[in-house]
Amino acid sequence: MSTANAKSNHRGETPATVEELCDLLRRCNDDGTKIGVAGGDTLRGMGFSLSGSELVLNTTALKRIVAYDPCDLTVAVQAGTTLRSLTTRLKKEGQFIPFDAPRPAHATVGGTLAAGWLGPRRHRFGRPRDLIVGSTIALADGTLARAGGMVVKNVAGYDMSRLYVGSFGTLGVLVQTNLKTLPLPPAARAFLAPLPEGTRARAFTQLQMLAVEPSAALWIDGFEKEIASAPGAEGRLFVLLESSDALLERATRDLRSALGRAGVPQTEIVDSRAREMLDAIVDAYVASVADRSITYRLTGLPSAAQECALESRDLVRRFALDAGIIADAMNGDVVVRASRNDTRDLSLKFQVLDDALHRARPRARIIAGDHPVRPALRVWGEDPPALERMRALKCAFDPRGTLNPGRFVGGM
Amino acid sequence: MERLGQAVGAENVKTAPEDLAVYAFDAYSDGKPPSAVVIPSQTREVSAVVKIARALGEPVIARGAGTGLCGGAVSIQGGGVVISFARMHRMLELDVPNRRARVQPGIVNLHLSQQVAASKLFYAPDPASQRSSTIGGNIATNAGGPHCLSYGTTVNHVLALEVVDERGEVFTTDIDDAGYDLTAALVGSEGTLGIVASAWVRLLRMPESTRVWLAAFPSIESASEAVSAIVGAGIVPTALEMMDAVIVKAVEAAFAAGYPTDAAAVLLIENAGFEDEMNACEAAIERLALANGALSWRAARTQAERDALWAGRKGAVGAIGRIAPNYYTQDVTVPRSALPKALRAVEVAARENDLVVGNVFHAGDGNLHPLLVYDKRDRRQVAAVLSTGNAILNAAIDLGGTISGEHGIGYEKRDAMTRVYSAQDLAAMARVRDVFDPEHALNPEKIFPAGTRCVEVAPPQ
Repeated sequence: MSTANAKSNHRGETPATVEELCDLLRRCNDDGTKIGVAGGDTLRGMGFSLSGSELVLNTTALKRIVAYDPCDLTVAVQAGTTLRSLTTRLKKEGQFIPFDAPRPAHATVGGTLAAGWLGPRRHRFGRPRDLIVGSTIALADGTLARAGGMVVKNVAGYDMSRLYVGSFGTLGVLVQTNLKTLPLPPAARAFLAPLPEGTRARAFTQLQMLAVEPSAALWIDGFEKEIASAPGAEGRLFVLLESSDALLERATRDLRSALGRAGVPQTEIVDSRAREMLDAIVDAYVASVADRSITYRLTGLPSAAQECALESRDLVRRFALDAGIIADAMNGDVVVRASRNDTRDLSLKFQVLDDALHRARPRARIIAGDHPVRPALRVWGEDPPALERMRALKCAFDPRGTLNPGRFVGGM
Repeated sequence: MERLGQAVGAENVKTAPEDLAVYAFDAYSDGKPPSAVVIPSQTREVSAVVKIARALGEPVIARGAGTGLCGGAVSIQGGGVVISFARMHRMLELDVPNRRARVQPGIVNLHLSQQVAASKLFYAPDPASQRSSTIGGNIATNAGGPHCLSYGTTVNHVLALEVVDERGEVFTTDIDDAGYDLTAALVGSEGTLGIVASAWVRLLRMPESTRVWLAAFPSIESASEAVSAIVGAGIVPTALEMMDAVIVKAVEAAFAAGYPTDAAAVLLIENAGFEDEMNACEAAIERLALANGALSWRAARTQAERDALWAGRKGAVGAIGRIAPNYYTQDVTVPRSALPKALRAVEVAARENDLVVGNVFHAGDGNLHPLLVYDKRDRRQVAAVLSTGNAILNAAIDLGGTISGEHGIGYEKRDAMTRVYSAQDLAAMARVRDVFDPEHALNPEKIFPAGTRCVEVAPPQ
């Protein structure tokens, strides 16, 4: 929080209670003070800049686990709870929530949800939006609105909680969320393998067809500094298997023979710290190269992921930029980082790349990097078809435009 | 009305009183006949119908198979144009590698699974009505079913929507679009925010191995404890269903499913996964069931044995028809750990009103379905049912639960919304309604308690 405030010269407020937070909102909404909303400041590379805000409201003091009964498989937490502290608490009961967001020691539950973060295990365990069962949101006028509850099945009224996930703090400030928890698979095993050109397409197809679905399967090219593992000439494959103990050996066998069929050379198995390796990769999703990089996330279908990754890498290289790629074989999204040590013409290069990338992948959106040219780029990708309706929604919830002005899609 | 005929063909517009009368009901509630029922064949026609209806000042009510239980798809005041999706019942695209399908709203839930079965895929949400209810209706109510314990409800399986809005304009949403997750807002909105004209839905791969077990318990409490113990041990089976003695007796009388009739409660447990882990899983669940007092334990290994055990569960509601001419199904959810208290409250409420109640429900989700049996012709019994249903709602709320787990709010429960939500909570929902449907032309008088207006409850600054 201090970095955000220091860098952007904003006045910061960290309300100690929900009441204080509501009071602050009410006062600002009344006197026209624009508010930026922040959690752990770990996803600041998403969205337009905070420059439209005069004050940054930080939720990190609201960090209580409000209710947790492991047998109910639900937990209620205040929005400023860090992912790490929640994960640690859940782990004691053999449970977890697959947020898979960068820098979990700082990232908050509310911030991760509001940013609509998508992790690499979502194909198997669900998106964060599919794990939220209830919420309390502080609206711009300082009133609180609750939605859902502490039950896992609830169709009483609109699913407001899911609407708040990914709303980037523009409809209100999440103060509490109630989430489903999942049993943590007892066994985890990571696999690393080189992934030369000729094997890649077949490897992706084989991975997608595996009966025991991997929890994550990522082709990583570049990111040598961030992800410590033997770099292959054209990147390496990381696969995470999570299962019961009884299933792990069979899953291992199946995976090895599938990769063998694809022609992937020797596979290295890592048993201890398998999940920590995934955490390090997720951190790399938003890791910047000083202020000389821009990172995009391209969403797409799994069947097109490999091709999309290659195409994007070639584009980046065509503009004489260094490319880092993380391609998700299970979910289909591709993370592309463009960077260059030589800063000459870098702004122009980023702009030309932005044009080219969006021509090929209109939904490409920026998730990291704060090069000065950034405001001129298509930070959120193409406008969604229902943008006008979204604007109307923003206006209905925050008629005075108090919350996070200018940061969201379409400059909302 | 002529214009409606021009839009969809005269044979697809019904206005004769005897035709309209059928549309005044759903599977439980009585409403009033609409002015017309229109059966479009494609999105363009849905759009045209909405435009014409709006020009005539008629509200529009989208309707699937009419299997709802809370008056969600009927006209309340009478009048209005009902759009039936009976002719929009096709799967439009199947994308096997990415495990998804694009469907029209009128496709029957079970038919979708049948049509993708050859590709070893299935559509997971399986409400009890799946033989007749449609995907469009399932999306409107965010339908559940026994298997949503591990697979999640309908909203977890909808990827993108094509929607006709209250002006008859078409818009699309996609969970990967930038901006607000309008897909999430639309699923479960009971046709009040837009009319789904097609949807991309997620398909799952058929499990390699499925086992079904039946455990009998001496009391509802011990069965509930077993449920908590199984889930607490880190096992989330694909289904965890409970039936009490009333239901078991009715089921056995109706079609001898082989349930033990001397038990106070039976648990039907299904797990799907891989053969490699099934023995360990079975041993763990059996141990937990016996440790919590199970009187007997049966494992179904073959498809025929599994089907037999499921037949009792699936036929339970129908079997109740043998006990009394009518029944009323309540639908509430409580936190799993509150199940024993909730079931006691159900029993007390029924006894105080001198009614017989049977419980058949999704125990793993804490989703109760008390069935109150009665005779509609006896006004005293009708009053007793209403009073008991109401007491059950209150008990669920007191236990931290909610007033509908999967059937929806519709007209029947709209006034109960104020018992779980504050004026501010409802005002936030009303803001969404007013953005999508400012004139409340889409399925009016549903979900929101009479008189809810966000401007009245929370005046803009």
